[in-house]
Amino acid sequence: MADGATRKVLAIAAREFRHTVLTKGFILGAIAVPALMFVAFLAVGWLAKSTMAPISGTLAVLDRSGRAEPFVRDELSSQRLSRLLPYDGGKEAPAMLPGGEDAMAQAAALAPKIDLSLEFSTDPADEEALRARVRDGALLGLAIVPPAAVEPPPASRDARVTLIVPSNSPPRLTTAFERGLERSVVKARVQASGNDWATLDAIMDPPSTDVRRLGADGTEAAESVVAKTLLPMGFMMLLWVCTFTSGQYLLTSTIEEKSSKVMEVVLSAVSPMQLLGGKILGFAAVSAVMLGMYGGLGIAGLQAASMGDLVSPGLLVLLGVYFVMAYAFVAIMMASVGSAVNDLREAQSLVTPAMLVLMVPLILWLPISEQPNGMLAVVMSFVPPATPFVMALRVAASSEPIAAWQVAASIVWGFACVAAFLWAGAKVFRVGVLMQGKPPTPRELLRWIRMA
Amino acid sequence: MTAAVRLSHVTKRFGRTEAVRDVSLEVPAGSLTGFIGPNGAGKSTTIRMIMSIIHPDAGTVEVLGADAIAAKDRIGYLPEERGLYRRMRVMEFLCYMATLKGMPSGGLRATVREWLERVQLGEAARKRCQELSKGQQQKVQFIAAVIHEPELIILDEPFSGLDPVNARLLNRLIRDLHRAGRTILFSTHVMHQAEQLCDRIVLINRGEKILDADMPEIHARFDPRSVLVEPAEPHAAAADALGRLPGVTAAQWVEERRGAELSVAPGADPQEVMAAAIGAMRVRHVSLRRTTLDDVFVELVGEHLPPSEESGNG
Repeated sequence: MADGATRKVLAIAAREFRHTVLTKGFILGAIAVPALMFVAFLAVGWLAKSTMAPISGTLAVLDRSGRAEPFVRDELSSQRLSRLLPYDGGKEAPAMLPGGEDAMAQAAALAPKIDLSLEFSTDPADEEALRARVRDGALLGLAIVPPAAVEPPPASRDARVTLIVPSNSPPRLTTAFERGLERSVVKARVQASGNDWATLDAIMDPPSTDVRRLGADGTEAAESVVAKTLLPMGFMMLLWVCTFTSGQYLLTSTIEEKSSKVMEVVLSAVSPMQLLGGKILGFAAVSAVMLGMYGGLGIAGLQAASMGDLVSPGLLVLLGVYFVMAYAFVAIMMASVGSAVNDLREAQSLVTPAMLVLMVPLILWLPISEQPNGMLAVVMSFVPPATPFVMALRVAASSEPIAAWQVAASIVWGFACVAAFLWAGAKVFRVGVLMQGKPPTPRELLRWIRMA
Repeated sequence: MTAAVRLSHVTKRFGRTEAVRDVSLEVPAGSLTGFIGPNGAGKSTTIRMIMSIIHPDAGTVEVLGADAIAAKDRIGYLPEERGLYRRMRVMEFLCYMATLKGMPSGGLRATVREWLERVQLGEAARKRCQELSKGQQQKVQFIAAVIHEPELIILDEPFSGLDPVNARLLNRLIRDLHRAGRTILFSTHVMHQAEQLCDRIVLINRGEKILDADMPEIHARFDPRSVLVEPAEPHAAAADALGRLPGVTAAQWVEERRGAELSVAPGADPQEVMAAAIGAMRVRHVSLRRTTLDDVFVELVGEHLPPSEESGNG
């Protein structure tokens, strides 16, 4: 391409980029919202910490059984309580997530300061006075352990522990007390039955299962629910959102140029192909900005959840290649449809068939993620324009490697199809930009492709 | 004289409609050529082919001695269907168009400002295009067509929608550009504008060229050979007296002119007829009627109209 022509294409691209990205709608929708989400994501931990005030006070325990005290002292010690508080109900951080231990340590660091003292009584006559102190805010709570609760087995279903707390008690503290008391009562029952709690606890602790996927070449990969299903979906949606949003901008911009009659003015200075090239390039930059924003947000989220190792540089490069391919398909389609119609309503009837093909990866997300090397996934990988979206799903399902030849073939085939799309789209664009009146039927579009 | 535009046997069809049929024409370099014809005659289609926006089905188009695409930066074009980027500021729009026309970016803003001042739109540089009135928008579009100092300027209906003041301003600008040596081709269906400005006329009707001549040639060819006599004391009977003068074949009283129109016999000298009229009675005004482009247009296009159109909106 001559220098002058390149300069014109770049001028068109720059105008399209500037007039899309530097608008209130784009700044608010595509930049400000993700940026705010990103900030909010980082702020969650800080906010959680700041809203958890230090815990200081006394929990009264009316142990009418007279057998629960040592276990309550153990379970509701400040140290144990600090481990119970960050997680609802004191559950362990999900073991299936890689980096779960790191996340647990990070969260534990956010736990509030705890200075809890326990006050025990076995006399039921004290209950009213203790309730009054709870009501006055002098106590953090009152736990009542009836004798039947610690009988092995419990005497009846009504033999339950009662926890009375002030109306303004933080729910997470209440839950921590609840769980601690429940474990104390279970320990007391175990002791009453003549068994050793530590031994029984060790016996009852279920082992974790390490699922390994064994590839045909003998390589092993760790199983991960997130990596296998959610991550591929995330990457495919990222391609979808970025390419379709910019594609929609491209469609609108082309229709506006036609309806405002500025198209002919521009075509007096540049050829239809230069105009098409400039528009595709300009909105590619728009799409790249969105990809950077949303993709950056996603990767930051994975890093924050200590799952950054799920996204390797190689995977990012591949996704970049499929992003270019996906954008090219969508952009060519939108530009040619935009050139052929007079308004967005007319565009819908022409865009819908192509959209249906592109919806296939969304519909088939689960089966393709479940079996990234299954027949369905392999076949759909070579159906344009779904190729880049299906391949994004497959390569991101990192627990099951995709054969290198399939990746290479999908890239070669995909870009060959992009070239064919461009050839046909350019012909439609050349004819369509100067057409007014009734929008073309699909048959007329085919005629344009043949005659242009 | 070399031709700035040369069309040879150009034909363009849209489906079954033949919009332009076997048209050949030349626009001499440095000329100000009017491209006239009724609505739907094929003017805009021909201009679009000259601009290489669309391509002919048959024939060749040569612009500034080259392929039209190669000459794009040397052509200024104001299309009939005009438009602006509504949200762009005037300065930005004109700089953008100038860049697309191959102008270097250095000094571009100063050139734009100079042009805006020239069309009395200096204060509009920072306004968005959608804030301008229709006339102001048209002036901005005109600047976009000529800012890169093209050798050939093609204006499709440049006066449509302009008030008389702005039409006069545009008229002056077109004359200035012509005096500066530019070749100008402009289409219109308003005959008096073409007559005022052009030194050459191409008339097209139903896709076919039916006239291609210089203005003096047109005046000579379509000389009506009639003399208008306005008697000092106007009365219809004067037409009878004037009709008997030597060299006059017929005389008709034209009430709205308060005078008589005399048809000069073939071979007779109109000057002698005028002298005879002055000698025959006291007159207020005697003149040799001049052919207007309107007359030529009606005569030529009327000939080609089907009977229903001729008596209707012709």
